[in-house]
Amino acid sequence: MRKRKFGTIATRALCAGAICAVALSAHAQEVMKIGVIASLSGGGTAWGLGLERGVQIAADQINEQGGLKLAGKTYKLQVVPYDDQYNAAQAKTAADRLVNRDDVKVIFGPVGSPGAMGSLPVTQPAKVIQFVDGYAPAILKNEWKGAYVFRINNSTLEFSEPIVDWLKKTYPNAKKVGMIAPNDATGQAGVPILATAYKNKGFDVWTEHYERGTKEFTPLVLRMMAQNVDVFDLNANAPGEAGLLVKQARQVGYKGLIVQSGGAGIDELIAIAGPLANNMMKYDVIDESLPRVQPFVALYHKKYNGVMNGLAPVYYNAANIYFEAMRRADSTDSTKIRDQIEKLGGNYDAPIFGKVVWTGEKNYGVNHQLLHTFVIKEVQNGKATVKAVITP
Amino acid sequence: MFSFSVLAQVFVDGIGLSAIYILIALGFTLLFGIMRVVNFAHGAFAMLGGYALYFLYGNAGLPYLVAAPLAALIVATAALVLERLVYRFFYQKMFQSMIGLLGLDMAIMYLAVIAWNAEERSVPPGTDALMHVGTLVFPEQKLIIAGIAAVALLAFFLFTHYSRYGLAMRAASQDVDIAEAQGVNSTSIYRLAFFIAIFMAALAGGFYAQTYALSPFAGEPQLMIAFVVVILGGMGSIPGVALGGLLLGFANSFLGTFYGSATSIFVSFGAVILLLIVRPWGLLGTREA
Repeated sequence: MRKRKFGTIATRALCAGAICAVALSAHAQEVMKIGVIASLSGGGTAWGLGLERGVQIAADQINEQGGLKLAGKTYKLQVVPYDDQYNAAQAKTAADRLVNRDDVKVIFGPVGSPGAMGSLPVTQPAKVIQFVDGYAPAILKNEWKGAYVFRINNSTLEFSEPIVDWLKKTYPNAKKVGMIAPNDATGQAGVPILATAYKNKGFDVWTEHYERGTKEFTPLVLRMMAQNVDVFDLNANAPGEAGLLVKQARQVGYKGLIVQSGGAGIDELIAIAGPLANNMMKYDVIDESLPRVQPFVALYHKKYNGVMNGLAPVYYNAANIYFEAMRRADSTDSTKIRDQIEKLGGNYDAPIFGKVVWTGEKNYGVNHQLLHTFVIKEVQNGKATVKAVITP
Repeated sequence: MFSFSVLAQVFVDGIGLSAIYILIALGFTLLFGIMRVVNFAHGAFAMLGGYALYFLYGNAGLPYLVAAPLAALIVATAALVLERLVYRFFYQKMFQSMIGLLGLDMAIMYLAVIAWNAEERSVPPGTDALMHVGTLVFPEQKLIIAGIAAVALLAFFLFTHYSRYGLAMRAASQDVDIAEAQGVNSTSIYRLAFFIAIFMAALAGGFYAQTYALSPFAGEPQLMIAFVVVILGGMGSIPGVALGGLLLGFANSFLGTFYGSATSIFVSFGAVILLLIVRPWGLLGTREA
């Protein structure tokens, strides 16, 4: 009887001890939320999914290694994404939720200038670090002096002149450029910069804008064709709209050169335009054939189906920069982490773009612009191959 | 800018736009004309037609001439469940139908988001070929759509004016009580009209998805187009749909080319407002008693 009583007590004590151990170990690994604002619907979905997935893969890698260890604690990373539908109002709402309800210390995204400009008034006063890739200069040059925001992708200011130089050398007979752009922060910020770069090299420039959400472009393309342009530059149109512009331009008989100066990724454009995308030239941030990118591509296709947008490795790169800065700061304090991010310039070999180079003091007043090599690709028969590698 | 070649291409482009607008609006006007239902869920069924074509043609690889009508047939058949459970309560009740079917539209749209996520997809066209006539270029896909629009208009007209079922539909639309007293089974007639209307919406949705893009939100612009076309042409009028579609298509093509997209949108909706003020029954519609 006594033996049975003792056995029962011992069993119960062991069980209680096991439960406490589990509870303690769970408590020892806190959850750290990582914010993502991305266009997960509409014409910019390819970019938004690329952003979200790039960050998720980086977070998964750390979690698989046991979590992020900072100041004696271990954190499990949890990515919290919200859809901004590529517009400022939704991005502001998403930023409000992430900063005030989810209590994040970092946000990756939004992708485009409208979302970036919409979210900064929420994130910057709260000292939440943000990694964006919209092209508007005001993302870095603003009332907060770009203190807690980093652009992790070349913007129009960085790539426009090198691309126009390349175009001038490769197509010396081209004289007039036409651009059709969305009538929002992306088009309003990026097009004047591109137009200036073209004019400085002796091109005539014609531009027209449309309301975001438009799908029927043939009247605008006809309007452009009446101007006798030699080069149709898609500038920073989102993949959905860019694909329709290419398709509809060819369908109404435009025979000149089509280029896109800006915007990561090309697969969705090819999927929409099909064989009508042949012979077009496109800026892209990486190519899957590059040795540095291949390990990430393998990881991506292990986890996700479908085409990989170029923003996935770009944001994977950015996420690694952030996590490395956290480790070096050994802290969750965003100001300390921000300082370490700045010090990574020249001191950290990021997985996709290699050695981190921060620039931007001259143009934006702060060195928070990542500078990296980019490629020009040519489309033939549904495939994009690298035509030129350009270092700005 | 106003050269002959540009004007000619604007005209050709206007035909392409008009054809797709007519196809989108046909089902919408039929439901109103026969059952006095303002189908705010019209865009949702068009969107479902796009997805059906995406899966049958884009994914499963069925021949296009089989996939396109089969996709519309599947959506129209499945929609008969909603006819029984939802639409039947709104026949001849215009205002209740607006609110109720708006709710249905939202429900279908967000069910599609849950099922297929919000990502935009592309449905391959039936053909990528371009037809060249002198300097003019006409995508063959748009030629197919224009041909189908013309055939659909003629078929609708002949059906509603010369077939037994069509005459029964018109009788029911004029006075359902008298029609029933004459032996017309209004429940069956309404069901048939509903099936045809949703079939047309889904077919148009498939063409729209091929021409532009497919997502759970692709039905919204189609609903707007249907509204504008039938308001211009007259609610319930088949010839009105043809006229409204042609007017909107050519106006968008001409104004957009020569004056830009903002002017085109402003004039299109400005004309709608003006028409609602001076002639609310549309250009070819019937003045309500």
